[in-house]
Amino acid sequence: MSKTPVPKGFTPVHSARFGKKGSQKLAGYEADGGYASWKKVAKGWKSGDFTPAKIIDMVKASGLRGRGGAGFPTGLKWTFVPPKEKRGGKPVYLLCNADESEPGTFKDRLIMEEDPHQLLEGMLIASAALDVKHAYIYIRGEMVRCAEVLNEAVAEAYAAGYLGKDILGSGLDIDLTVHRGAGAYICGEETALIESLEGKRGHPRIKPPFPAVSGVWDCPTVVNNVETLAAVKFILDNGPEWFKGMGRNEKNTGPKLYCVSGHVEKPGVYEAPMGIKFMDLLALCGGMKGGKKLKAVIPGGASAAILTAAEVADLPMDFDGVAAAKSMLGSAAIMVMDETTDIPKAVTNISKFFAHESCGQCTPCREGTPWLNKMLKRLIKGEGKRDDLDLLLQISNQMGNGMTICVFSDAAIAPVISGITKFRDEFEAYLSKAKAPDFALAAPAEVTPKVADRVAEGIHG
Amino acid sequence: MSGGPNLPSAQIAGNPPVGEHGALSCGKALKFSPEARKRVDHLLTRYPTKQAALLPTLWEAQREWGWISREAVDHVAEVLELAPAFVWGVVTFYTMYNRAPVGKHLIQFCTSISCHLADAEGVYAECRKRLGDLKPGETSKDGKFTVIEVECLAQCDKAPAVMVNDDDYAVITKDNLDSFLGGLK
Amino acid sequence: MSKTAKVTVDGRSVDVPDNSNALEACRAAGVEVPHFCYHPGLSIVGQCRMCMVEIEGMPKIAASCTVPIRDGMVIKTDTEKAHAARNSTMEFLLINHPLDCPICDQAGECKLQDNAVTGGLPVSRTSEARRQYPGYERTDIGKHVIADMTRCIQCTRCIRFCEEITETGELSFIERGGHTIVWTHEGRALDNELSGCAADVCPVGALTTKEFRFRKRAWWLDKTRSVCTGCEVGCNIAVEHKDRVVHRFIPRVNADVNDFWICDFGRFRSEELNEQELFRPVVRGKETSWGDAQDAIKAAVDAAQKDVLVLGSAKLSTETNWLAAQLFGKHLGANVEFVVDRGDRHRVKNKKADGNVAGWLEGYEAAPNSRGAEAAGVTRGGDTGALAAVLTGTLLPKVIIVLDAAFSAKAEDPAVIAALRKAGTLIVCSRRRSALAAAADVLLPVGGVHNDEGTFVNVQGRVQRFDCAYIPPPIVRTQLEILTHLGKKWGLFDTRWTARSVFEEMRATVPGYAGLDWDSPALVGSAPSASPAAPHDVLEAPAKGGLGLPALQEVGS
Repeated sequence: MSKTPVPKGFTPVHSARFGKKGSQKLAGYEADGGYASWKKVAKGWKSGDFTPAKIIDMVKASGLRGRGGAGFPTGLKWTFVPPKEKRGGKPVYLLCNADESEPGTFKDRLIMEEDPHQLLEGMLIASAALDVKHAYIYIRGEMVRCAEVLNEAVAEAYAAGYLGKDILGSGLDIDLTVHRGAGAYICGEETALIESLEGKRGHPRIKPPFPAVSGVWDCPTVVNNVETLAAVKFILDNGPEWFKGMGRNEKNTGPKLYCVSGHVEKPGVYEAPMGIKFMDLLALCGGMKGGKKLKAVIPGGASAAILTAAEVADLPMDFDGVAAAKSMLGSAAIMVMDETTDIPKAVTNISKFFAHESCGQCTPCREGTPWLNKMLKRLIKGEGKRDDLDLLLQISNQMGNGMTICVFSDAAIAPVISGITKFRDEFEAYLSKAKAPDFALAAPAEVTPKVADRVAEGIHG
Repeated sequence: MSGGPNLPSAQIAGNPPVGEHGALSCGKALKFSPEARKRVDHLLTRYPTKQAALLPTLWEAQREWGWISREAVDHVAEVLELAPAFVWGVVTFYTMYNRAPVGKHLIQFCTSISCHLADAEGVYAECRKRLGDLKPGETSKDGKFTVIEVECLAQCDKAPAVMVNDDDYAVITKDNLDSFLGGLK
Repeated sequence: MSKTAKVTVDGRSVDVPDNSNALEACRAAGVEVPHFCYHPGLSIVGQCRMCMVEIEGMPKIAASCTVPIRDGMVIKTDTEKAHAARNSTMEFLLINHPLDCPICDQAGECKLQDNAVTGGLPVSRTSEARRQYPGYERTDIGKHVIADMTRCIQCTRCIRFCEEITETGELSFIERGGHTIVWTHEGRALDNELSGCAADVCPVGALTTKEFRFRKRAWWLDKTRSVCTGCEVGCNIAVEHKDRVVHRFIPRVNADVNDFWICDFGRFRSEELNEQELFRPVVRGKETSWGDAQDAIKAAVDAAQKDVLVLGSAKLSTETNWLAAQLFGKHLGANVEFVVDRGDRHRVKNKKADGNVAGWLEGYEAAPNSRGAEAAGVTRGGDTGALAAVLTGTLLPKVIIVLDAAFSAKAEDPAVIAALRKAGTLIVCSRRRSALAAAADVLLPVGGVHNDEGTFVNVQGRVQRFDCAYIPPPIVRTQLEILTHLGKKWGLFDTRWTARSVFEEMRATVPGYAGLDWDSPALVGSAPSASPAAPHDVLEAPAKGGLGLPALQEVGS
């Protein structure tokens, strides 16, 4: 991992140790001042210098918002866990959501691969704040090597006494287990992650009850993203004011890892203060690949609405900034598309992803995502029909906004709706090239693929 | 067509026909080796329920036997005290459990949006062509390669990204495809 | 003791238990919200997305089954947004459905069909090819159940049934997204003691029972309230029949007994009711009239001077047993006894009113009414009873009257028949030809449990009424009729008596019957449902009893 440039005047936080030799090892981490905050917390635990309330207040004061996609204030989320006397003896679980599967996102992977102890330290601090005795990292199945790095780091932390029983004499007992998923995007949804951790199919749950009240194994559960939990460590290191000092405004604070991919000169993870302007970020990436013109940007992973070049011209890349442009920052997975990009094909590709990843519980999503994909595939094959675009928009509108248990189908329709409304002429062009008659008589029946065709194939879309 | 309303029940009772979604048989009853069983027993200490160990236990099964057969499901179900149908339902929900034997090198092409923008589909098709016109998911005749398409591998900065077995490979294009494949012994 | 909450549904105010959900509140208010995955006997999954309603104060449309009610909640089912949402779900469900109602046996009692008729779009907007499932069509997945995935709407009712009720877990979701199917694990069958209920709960034609498939279109079926006679549990069932042929049993809801379920053993006994083989009284090998047969019986009994053994039956109603006890025991001083077989365990699950699964209700006796027979004054025979004495040869009555030739498995034992045959006169009531029937001096043709009405007392001591599906064929009589006619010969009974009048007569003296009302809901149970998949969609209010003419018979014909 070569280091990526940062904006002038900004000192990297999460990525400071990325690319450094031995950055994964405990010795190097400690030499760079790692676990200082955890030692402070552990030391101050018995004396009362550090209390759960103090840590939670610091996180609240920092303005930290969840880095996984929804941008929910982390400190507030933590306060939803019922107080001990109302938990009926049930333990609290902390789950680190490392199921980084949103297309375009690869920041958590870097934290875990390059500097796993910052995550562990953040999780330890969060566990102490939330009275957690056993925390889990749910890492996506594909990140095999990454899980190995994490497991080594966990073993080191146990050996050093940062994890385990009576940590550093504080009286705190915290265990941590790395749990590998097995290939399902939906497990990044926090209740699906919980189901998956319980050993089930990753079907999102009906809410309420929310995980903070009844999550994994029916116990109060907090699910936080990797970057979010790592940020907790830095808030403890440098104080909430420091954290809040970065960012565009007090609702969009802290350092942020941006994942830039697509048609830029140097794709990669770039760290910048929350709210960096898109164009500044693009400049950090060396500009458009081959000097081509910018056409469109997906600002927050495949679930986010596509933005046009005009819409991103002066766009602050933070939760509220991108939301104001009617898209979302999501996991800050920024996919840049140049003038050669075929938007209908890109939208079809994304729709295939969602058709393939739908869990199949709710009717509108189970039936709607493949329907959208079938229509789009037909359209780009040159067999589109006059009413297809309107029908695509109508179907999309029938899938979102409370029609399903989770927001997966809202995510699935965002690229379709934004793609068609903003780049309609490109879709119309496919229609005008259409060679098929205005009806489909003997379309070959779609057949669920046989095992032979689908041996670990992954995609049956 | 398998089955039918008038099949004599002796033929079907307890033994529905093998269908495409059913678990394939490996032909013999399976049991974890003592080492694998030890690892599974250790897993069980990390969770408050046996069921929670299902995903990692299936990983152990795949590590032990290379793929998840009907018999592997039966054994895992027995070890974790779960219904075999439930276990099979979990296996089929996730994409990474192989449901048939795969080649020595399981080449997984990401074709999600960032890699799509770098023509991953073209490289994927070209790779299959060069390995002897393999169909998606097919294993080459020498048993060395199985080529499949997968969703985002979180290496979008290295598009087109490829994973071979457990290892990540960056920027595999039509130009460097031959040297990439040549490197897989 | 659960509290209630006040909820408004489409402007109507209704009090419901505060642990209800919005769908149940609507139902309580008389508004049926279309649904598929919701089943009152199973957990809530909220995944079919059919029961969408608007709730005041909630910004988004909501699946009513997933919304716990609270006091003051205002639910609107009849808004444009709610209709649009439900129509939308219907559209999604139908784009891949084969629409093969004409060859689907669920037609007529299919929730998908019903909801398509009452809502949904008039046209289909899809032109994509419909999904197919080669290898997953019309396939036996168990002893009794056939699955066809092309029709499945992935509601998971059957999966939940096998997980939560039978706790056997044979079925599971396989694959995911649009390819999701419901199936067993390869090499294993759907094989549990209640497996027929998995087909019951299926709202569409994806799971059907082999025994009933293509026997009769659901809309032709007449439904009669009855009680299963397979064991002492006394599951509430509906006998479904047409033109004097019984086609199937389906469960009737009774939260205290069988909840929504019946076991396969009970369910698939329905065919036995069509096995009527005897049609005329026979006296000493000669077919004759009822008058002659009764004269022969009276002469034999009078001549025997109390040396008579009458075998009642735990398979007959309390009313019939009571008449036998009154006539032969109390009046004529004979021995009136019954025996009951202890058979295999049969069981069904029910839950308490608080919604917690309470567990299994088990029955071991192979007859529904030993407690009723005993209460009616018939002696429970055993190792030391009169029948036992007959069998060991220590007692030799001049006359033996067997009120039910199928009273026990013993009735097929040649040694038992030989022992009974030693009586001077052997009188047997039977539906079927059998060795015992062939041995009788006087053979009386009788109908089955579906040809009469009456009450049984189940293992819990609960008195339950069963109704008459249709009267016996011409000339054939019920045991109750035979007894009232015989009783008249001795000047005791009136031939106009029905089970109901006997019930009213015996209430005063029979333990457990005091104060009971023939028409009370406790006795009658719930009305048969419109379809097994919709246990609460009842056809009409409880009917008045009346021999041969229950009001329900009119429905659907």
